[in-house]
Amino acid sequence: MKASYVIKRILLTIFIFLVVITLCFFIPRIGVSDPASRYYPAQTAGMSDEEYEYIKEQIRIQYGLNGSTFQQYINYMADLFTGDLGTSYQTGSPKVIDCIAECLPWTLVLSVSNLLISLVIGILIGTMAAWKRGRWQDKLLLNASTITTALPAFFIALILSFYLGFEWEIFPAYTDQNMTANFDWSWQAISTVMYNAALPVFAMVIGGIVSYAQSTRNSVIAVSGDDFILTAKAKGLSNNKVIYGHTLRNAMLPIVTQFGMNVSGLIGGSVVIEQIFNWNGMGTLFLTANSNNDYPLMMGIMIFMSAFALVANLLTDFVYSLLDPRVTLGERR
Amino acid sequence: MKVLKNVGLFCWRFLCGVGRFFKKLWQHKQGRVGLIIVAFLAVLAIFAPLIAPYDPYDVTQRAEKGLTPSWEHLLGTSITTGQDIFSMLIYGTRSSLSIGLITGVVIAVLGSLLGIAAGYLGGWVDTLIMRVVDVLLVIPSLPLVIVMTNVLGTSYAVIVLVFAAFGWTGLARVVRSQVILIKNANYVKAAELVGASKWYIMWRHILPAVSNLLIMSTALTSAGIMVAEAGLSFLGLGNPTAISWGKMLADAQSGGAMLFGHWWSILAPGIGIFLSVYSFMRIGLALEEILNPKMRKGSSMVKVFKHLNNTYLDEVFASMDEASRLKGEYAGDALPEEVKTETLALETYAPLTGGVPEVVPAEEIAIELPAAEIAAENAENEAGAPPAESAAPAEESAPAQTRGGRHRRSKKPGKPRVETKDGGDK
Repeated sequence: MKASYVIKRILLTIFIFLVVITLCFFIPRIGVSDPASRYYPAQTAGMSDEEYEYIKEQIRIQYGLNGSTFQQYINYMADLFTGDLGTSYQTGSPKVIDCIAECLPWTLVLSVSNLLISLVIGILIGTMAAWKRGRWQDKLLLNASTITTALPAFFIALILSFYLGFEWEIFPAYTDQNMTANFDWSWQAISTVMYNAALPVFAMVIGGIVSYAQSTRNSVIAVSGDDFILTAKAKGLSNNKVIYGHTLRNAMLPIVTQFGMNVSGLIGGSVVIEQIFNWNGMGTLFLTANSNNDYPLMMGIMIFMSAFALVANLLTDFVYSLLDPRVTLGERR
Repeated sequence: MKVLKNVGLFCWRFLCGVGRFFKKLWQHKQGRVGLIIVAFLAVLAIFAPLIAPYDPYDVTQRAEKGLTPSWEHLLGTSITTGQDIFSMLIYGTRSSLSIGLITGVVIAVLGSLLGIAAGYLGGWVDTLIMRVVDVLLVIPSLPLVIVMTNVLGTSYAVIVLVFAAFGWTGLARVVRSQVILIKNANYVKAAELVGASKWYIMWRHILPAVSNLLIMSTALTSAGIMVAEAGLSFLGLGNPTAISWGKMLADAQSGGAMLFGHWWSILAPGIGIFLSVYSFMRIGLALEEILNPKMRKGSSMVKVFKHLNNTYLDEVFASMDEASRLKGEYAGDALPEEVKTETLALETYAPLTGGVPEVVPAEEIAIELPAAEIAAENAENEAGAPPAESAAPAEESAPAQTRGGRHRRSKKPGKPRVETKDGGDK
């Protein structure tokens, strides 16, 4: 890995992050001259105009909306670099960063287990389908992949929660709110979380498994035509050694790319699922903020998600260029 | 007048292309399935008022809430509002199909314009567009769409615009990388050599070359947009006045369809979403299979290659080509092996569908040039070509002559010479 490549990538990342912050600063200001006007209370009967002005000014100061737009922008940036994403409009005015810290682990429980399960099972199924190319296993996978791609995850989730949750009552259809509130690291708390997370993860995993299986299959088939596979077979290696030792290892590169993309979507990818199962994560936080017109919280969440995605993309690129030095650095894949 | 003629010609070609696509699709087994389902849904959407037994928008035609299926209400009635679910299902086709298709087309236009500009013009245009793509790819799409609808409202136009504004990035990337390959194809360089303007080349050569890709991706993006729209209206953030499948699902869930065991009110809109998305995906995948020669069976590649060799290019520029290839300065030779084969693959699908090397007669291109230049060029050709041909075996003299000829051509204003060494991506 060339140092110039690393520096170039990091500079680009910082640049993109600055643009994202700027966007997030200006989106709430589209079409309104005074963004704080959303938060002003109504002027009560006995209140003089001066008093009302004073209250408005206090609110502007509280949300960092005082002064000219340029000044607000500078303040916003300065706050961001000290880790302050602003103040939420919720009752009690909590810091945005605290709200995120509270919800983030619960989203990660869902999305990380989804990612790992679909990665492992998907690669196994995909390798098998490639090995049995053209036979019924392969055709089944092809059909399954078109069908599950056309089925939105939230519809799968609804069906699952209808049958497994309500009809047969195997898993809880709604998350127990006590679970997140009183979580200690006891065995019982952990098992409750797993029990509650079963349905949402199941709903997300179906699509994930099939997409990983499909891309593994294509990549394995592309590699298995190469000469070194023929050599390995000619040497008399067992099927398993050829598959796992030679083919799969070289077929991993596209999967690394896909994995990286999924990692960057870890936080923002489960909004609808969380809503269906009443899961107390980032998606629910965002939707609540949206229905309260809580712009500081929404923009804070967006900036946080973007930062996460940027770091994930950066790491994926570095891992990729370590795995495949042929990627003449700087070339896009 | 000329603009009109050009536009007319483009539309005619576009229609011909579309006709050929439908023919190819119909011959493809999977594509036919998709076409039939789409046609069925389109009929439902257009004749919804005739087919549906009730008008779901009409408040007076609402029945009791949460009725179970019967002959009067084939799929029962909605739990929250008492509308007939079967009628809602039919009316829901309208919003799903229209938003999917319109957004798909807008994205195709945006993505192709920006992708072609980035790929063909290069330089700062490319950098600018690609940085915008980078930014949009990083921001999570669903939250961004939600914020934008919060700021701008949830009318039909806003939803289409917001989806289009954030959905063009993927297509622009693909188009850009294709254009970079096409840029180095013989026929584009021939047009540049004769002095065609950049706009002319983008309009007449690059756009037809990526049109296959555009039609294919329009089908696939429409499918994606349908899912996204269903998700948005499921969250209650879609157009509140329209009837859509996502909103039906949300109503069923919030009304307690699960508690009462009303499986039909969940399954019906779900199957609607599935059918529309599935059919569009089928069409997109079938087109991909038809257009991608690597997936085709048999020796069509060989046939196509022969066809390509018979184009006018070789007749007109044979001598020049031969000479410059000997010297190895031709762009094709400077390209890495991988890119070269890709270029070949790209050129090969053209004659099948009538897209890419639509042979433009040399006279037609020459119209762009002033008469004096043509005369000079003709004189030059007559003077330059025969010696080059005869001297081709002698490696020393031929390249010098051709290079001189090329250099003189490139001095014409407004027509920069082909960047022969700039083969790769950035």
